[in-house]
Amino acid sequence: MKYRVSNICKSYGDLKVLDNISIDFPENKTTCIMGPSGCGKSTLLNIIAGILDMDSGEVEGFNDETISFVFQEDRLIEWKSVADNLRLVLKGKMDKRDIETIIDRYLESVNLKEYKNYYPRDLSGGMKQRISILRAFIYPSKVLIMDEPFKSLDINNKHIVMEFLKNLKDREKRTCILVTHDVEEAIALGDRIVVLSHKPSRVRKVIDKPCIYDKKDEYKVYIKSQIEDILMG
Amino acid sequence: MKDSTLRDKKLSTISKVTLIIIWIVLSELIDNQVIFPTIKSTIKSLMEIVKSPNFIKIITSSILRSLWGFLICLFFAILIGILSSISKFVYNMMIPILNFLSSVPTMAIIILALIWLHNELVPVFVGFIMVFPILYETVQKGIFNVDKKILEMCKLYKVNKLTIIRDIYIPSIFINISAIFDSALNTNLKMVIAGEALSQPRFAIGSNLQIEKMYLNTSGVFAWIIIILLISKLLSYITKTVKRFTKINKWM
Repeated sequence: MKYRVSNICKSYGDLKVLDNISIDFPENKTTCIMGPSGCGKSTLLNIIAGILDMDSGEVEGFNDETISFVFQEDRLIEWKSVADNLRLVLKGKMDKRDIETIIDRYLESVNLKEYKNYYPRDLSGGMKQRISILRAFIYPSKVLIMDEPFKSLDINNKHIVMEFLKNLKDREKRTCILVTHDVEEAIALGDRIVVLSHKPSRVRKVIDKPCIYDKKDEYKVYIKSQIEDILMG
Repeated sequence: MKDSTLRDKKLSTISKVTLIIIWIVLSELIDNQVIFPTIKSTIKSLMEIVKSPNFIKIITSSILRSLWGFLICLFFAILIGILSSISKFVYNMMIPILNFLSSVPTMAIIILALIWLHNELVPVFVGFIMVFPILYETVQKGIFNVDKKILEMCKLYKVNKLTIIRDIYIPSIFINISAIFDSALNTNLKMVIAGEALSQPRFAIGSNLQIEKMYLNTSGVFAWIIIILLISKLLSYITKTVKRFTKINKWM
């Protein structure tokens, strides 16, 4: 396995958050990380992204990789147009002509070209998050980390943005890590679901997509209830 | 709630008309041109001032004095504001200076300026000491208030530092300055005229206000106030036009 974390431990003072976490991330697949709130999911993402040090353990494959991010909020710069927001992360990574070609190609491919010169304030919450996801895909990376990207959206926008993400994911080969607390979301988007326990977090269950999709509906309900049991503690 | 959503042209006009009515009523009641001149005598004084040979020279001198003083102030506020946000030394050096400027009475500083400086420079200096702290704090606000989450996003996407400064910090500074630009420019104009009234440069609105006061020509004082209001309006109009032309706030 190219991407892997092994025996990750992390404490904040006396509070142990991650306890011997080991996860394999299949290449070009989506791994969903679930767990009760406050169990250290974001801490784990930050360790994988290299912005937080771990106490012990090993991160393999991610260190030399370029990584894209989708956050809970869109994190678009309000005084920059959609195109300028996309340009910002590409500047210095390729020449200007390529940047313009890529932006136009991506916006066209997801039918958002008409919004190219819009400012974030002119877009709905769902549209802003779509641009944020597009920014992650435009960025030349092999790994995409998403930290509860649908959390701030209402139910309608959530489904639209999830479809948008699925379409992009089907077209582009990326290794995705998605943190979510929503079981439906994880089942819909994940090829692998990793369920963490309460603090200090350990891996409680790993479910691969074939296990969910190849079985009958009753089995899916059973898996869902199992995940929910773990999440409820 | 936004200022623009509260603004109502009708109510604003009613307020202006009410002020004029109060002026008419008070001048009739007081019936003393020295204490409270009538609209008629004020307009007469205004016409005399406008027709006087040095009128254009007087107002252009005051406007230019105010503008170049403001530009110097803006330059130093941006420069020192940026330096203080990256240097703890500069930041701490500025604290007592700003405290001094905000707590010492302006008049005390003006008196010192009258002793130390040429009378042409005093009005500019007075404008500077009043407006510099406002612009300096605005520059700092523009730097410190940049959303940390945006900066984190830039770090994760490996956006280089020069791009972060050019595309995030500098626009943030200018957006903050543009929000107070109009009021700072007009405060500077008022302070420059106050400085002129005390230092008496040869061609200046403030000097003429002082002369009218000395001759107890209150209608002349009122007339100059009207001229100052018109200049202030003109500056605001130019500022708005420039903002619209440069599209600095088109994202708002």
